[in-house]
Formats: sequence, structure tokens, C-alpha cells
Amino acid sequence: MIEQTAKAYATRKEFYRQFGRKSRGAQMRRRFLKNKTAVIGMILFLLIVITAICAPLIADYKGVAIKQIRSERLQPPSARHWLGVDEMGRDVLARIVHGARISLVVGILAIGVSLLIGGTLGALAGFYSGWVDNVIMRAMDVFLCLPDVLLALAIVASFGTSQVNLIISIGLAFTPKMSRVVRAAVMSVRSNEYVEAARSIGARNGRIILRHVLINCIGPIIVQVTLYVANAILTVSALSFIGLGIQAPTPEWGNMLASGRDYARDAVHIVMAPGLAIFFTILSLNLLGDGLRDTLDPRLKQ
Amino acid sequence: MDTLEIKNLVVEYTSDDETVHAVNGVDMVIPSGKTLGLVGETGAGKTTTALSILNLVPEPQGRIVSGEVFLEGGNILAMGEKQLQAMRGDRVAMIFQDPMTSLNPIQTVGEQIAEGIQLHRKVDAKEALRQAIAMLEMVGIPGDRAMEYPHQFSGGMKQRVVIAIALACRPSLLIADEPTTALDVTIQAQVLKLINELREKEKMSMLMITHDLGIVAEVCDEVAIMYAGRVVEQGTLEDIFDNVRHPYTRGLFDSLPDIENRRTELKPIKGMMPDPTQLPPGCPFHPRCDYARPECGQSMPNARRLSNTHLVRCHLYNHTTEDMLGVKADA
Repeated sequence: MIEQTAKAYATRKEFYRQFGRKSRGAQMRRRFLKNKTAVIGMILFLLIVITAICAPLIADYKGVAIKQIRSERLQPPSARHWLGVDEMGRDVLARIVHGARISLVVGILAIGVSLLIGGTLGALAGFYSGWVDNVIMRAMDVFLCLPDVLLALAIVASFGTSQVNLIISIGLAFTPKMSRVVRAAVMSVRSNEYVEAARSIGARNGRIILRHVLINCIGPIIVQVTLYVANAILTVSALSFIGLGIQAPTPEWGNMLASGRDYARDAVHIVMAPGLAIFFTILSLNLLGDGLRDTLDPRLKQ
Repeated sequence: MDTLEIKNLVVEYTSDDETVHAVNGVDMVIPSGKTLGLVGETGAGKTTTALSILNLVPEPQGRIVSGEVFLEGGNILAMGEKQLQAMRGDRVAMIFQDPMTSLNPIQTVGEQIAEGIQLHRKVDAKEALRQAIAMLEMVGIPGDRAMEYPHQFSGGMKQRVVIAIALACRPSLLIADEPTTALDVTIQAQVLKLINELREKEKMSMLMITHDLGIVAEVCDEVAIMYAGRVVEQGTLEDIFDNVRHPYTRGLFDSLPDIENRRTELKPIKGMMPDPTQLPPGCPFHPRCDYARPECGQSMPNARRLSNTHLVRCHLYNHTTEDMLGVKADA
């Protein structure tokens, strides 16, 4: 009977061509581009990423970013130094641009790590509840007792300092928080009838978690993730401050913020610049994340 | 062979300090190709019985304490998880009550119908989608709407989609759990007609859960009346509609408005459903029953066969098969 009524649409694309509809990718792209704030967020974020990639073209690393010129210390912004000079006599703009490479990579990858580990654990705990939930979440609670910085500190101290270790340790430090967020979201979606319906057609648990539960949790998770990236960048600075993060002359936003703090009253540009850099990064990620969430949720389509 | 046979099913929900006796020894048989209507008030254990057939009683609170559920001869309660997954959706499928919540809001309806096909038939995604579109057309929705999302459909159409998902793999048993409760009356009629047509076309057996006796009269071959987790009366449509024996069933009919004589007052059954954590001793219906006798509060009546098809569980019929509902209790 199927054969009688079925029309042969070889692929989804072909199906859309048949009915003159845009493919799902194109639909999503259009929906995203209609969302003004999301596009602004994306442009801002891309600008920051491009700046980070093109850092050597904008300012020479050895010649400007880490070179100290004592006579120009604490100079305010001028035509020669657009963002001024810091307390060691280094050009702030050059340091911001080069610092983006480290802050962005470490911040985003660390949260990626925590999302991978914490997200998986949280999803399992939230979905299975019962003893699985108890075992996972009580372990997470133990880690949650320690401040992020202390936890990251312990891990990085035992593995040694390198950028990769920094990413892993900060990622692990944020894992407990991330698992809580994902677990809460999963628990609120798990009891929906469509999850039961999926089970009633014989879907396995893994499939249910991925295709029916997690995909419906994306909203709250995206919002938290963008906020945690900001936290992660600041955690790097805290570790750098005690010498376990990024080492001294290498520019990094959190580091610049920390060392410029003492001069904030006389030369506010030193803290302002990295502060604003972090602010705009987070703002762009936040707008982008919000836009992504709206794009992924077809119910919000106008 | 009978499509479904349930023997002495007992299901409980336990929480920290109390036990809900949801199903207390249900027996039922659905012969191949027949439709059994399961009727009862909210909380009578209808849905729990249905979920037991899929072995999907929500754990860990819910537990199938005892009983056997045979699907085409195989005992479902003895199956492992793998076998259960292979059975669900393929041999037994369920239509859920509320189409607004039983569809995943962020998958297209085509994908959701295709999911079951892909799980049970060895076909690739393209073929599954093609069959899904055919299913959609079978339930009366144009195939070109397959790539739309549930929120773009009306309630009645969503329920059609749910029906398409359930029927996608041609199950031998279809469980319809109040499939029209969430729909308005005109749409109800359409959806019922659709279910009935498809069921006959595919020669499926069906368990129709409802509290609407009108639906039963229209769709079912046999009826089982459930009260407090037990089947109190069971029989063919004629047995139940024309030869009511159990006082509870009588009460259900008396609660219906009479369209020909609008002046008659409704006669609702007095009292409330008993608290399933503390069922009264003896027959659970006796506190509300006009015909209650001393023994009703002491012992649970056995199911008694009045004819080949008609079963009743009531002390009134311990010694007779005659209609006892005309004889009021002396008390």
C-alpha cells in the first residue's frame, strides 16, 4: 500500500525542489539573518576572531606587544598609541590584539571541554534520575564546594602550566556548574509526553536523549555557556595572577586587567581596554547565542 | 490466535509513605481484528493498563507486581529491553491523549513519522521519509506538509500526525488512549472515523480507552468497564448496552443525558471514586452502590460468567444470571 501512495522523493533536497520550498538549512539561515541582534552579535564576534587571527598584521609581537619603552609609560591614548601605553611602557592596542588569541581560544575551548564532560554527565543524571543522578550529582556537589579558581589551580598545578593544560583544567573546573545547568534543563524536558511517545515507538535511550531531550534543552544551555565563557576568561587571569596561567610578558586580557588594576586611578585606559575587550566578546557571544536559540526553535518563526 | 491476552495484572505506584493500587487484577482478551473499549472514570487504571502492555509503566515509582501480558502468544513482561524496543512501535503502537504535547516541537512531522519506520524497518533515511509522506497522505494531510513543524498544524491535524506515527509500522495492536479527549466534537468524529477506517483496512486489533460511551458504541466490538483497578463488567456491545448487569455500569448510563427526553434529570452516581491508596474492603464500589448487601463490604466478588461473552463482578449475581438491577436493596 505504501508503494501505491508513496511518491519517490529521493532526498530531502529533492523533496523541497518538488514543492518549491527552501531546504531546512536555507530556512534556518534566512531566519537567523532576519534576527537583527543576532546578526550584530555574529558580526562583532567575527570581527574579534578576525582581529585575533590577523594580530601579527596589525602589530608586531616582539617589536610592539612585549617591547617595553620606559619613557612612554602610562601615556594616555594618542595618535601613536590608539589605546595608550601600559605601566611597563607597552602599547595597549598591540597587547589587546595579541591577547585576543589566547583569551578567546582558552575561554571558548575550556567551556567546550566543560560542556562535553559536564553536559554528558548532567544529561545522564537528569535523564536517568534515581541512583545514576545521585552518584553523578553528589560527586559534582563535592567539586562544587571548591571555588572554580581553586579547583583549576589544583589541576593546573599537578599537570604543569601550558595552554592545553590550562584549557583542560579550567574546563574541568567549570564541569560541575555545567552539569547542573544541563541536568536541570533535561529534567524539565524529560517528563514531556513526546519523550514517552518516542519510547512507545521503540526508540533507545541514547536516541531519545539526543534527538528528543537535549535538542529541546538548547535554549537555557546556550545562554549559560556564553556567560561561562566570560567567567573562564577571568579565571585564566586569576591563574595568571598567581603565576600558573599565561606567563608574564605574553599578553592576555585577564592578565592585563589584573596588572593594570594598581594604576586604574591615574591611567584608566589600561584597565578599560581589556575590560571592554572582554565585555564585547561576551556581548557578541550572548547575542549570537540568543539568535542561535531562536533560529533552532521553529516555534518562534514569524 | 488472540492478539492480546492479559492475565491477572497488578500494578502499583509506590511513594515514600503510600502505595497507589492502580491496577488490581485485570484480565482481558482482544481477539485478532477486534476492538475492545476500556471504559472507566479518571483514575480507574485504564492508562496504567495500557502502559503495561508496552511495559512502559513509569519506573521507579510504578511497578508491575504480578500478572502476564501475552502479545500474539509471547509474554511481554518476560522480554528483555532489546526485545521490548523491537516490539514497541512495530507490533504495538499507542496513540496518546493530547496531540499538543505528544509531538516533539522542534522536529518536522515527517521526521517524526520516519523515526519509527527507520527504527523497525531496515530502510535508509530517504526511504523512511518517503514512507512517512505516504503515511501522512493516508491520514489525509497533503504530503508537501511533511517538512512543517507541529505548531503549524491545528489540533485535529496534529492528532492525525500522531495516528500516522502510530500506524507507520502496521502494528497488530493499536492502543488509543482517549484519542479524542483533547479535540472538539466535530474533529472528534473525523478522527474516530479515520481510526476506524485505517484499523479495518490494516486488520488491526485495537484497545480503545475512553470515558465516552458514545465512542464505544460507535467503534468497539466489546467493552470492559473498569472501576478502581478492576474490570467490573465485560461483554459485547449488546451485553453492555442492552443487558446491563453491574450497578456501576448502570450508573454510568444513568449519568448520560437523554436526548429524546430532555426533562429527565441526570442521575449521577453518588459519592466519589475511592482513594486508590486506601481502597475500601470488599467490593470497592459498595460504598456508592444502591444495591449493596452485607457481603459486599466483606469480600471481593469473583468474576462470574453470565453468558459466553458476558462477565460481571458483583455479589448480586452469586446465585443467578437474571437481571438484579430492578430489585432494590432493603437497607
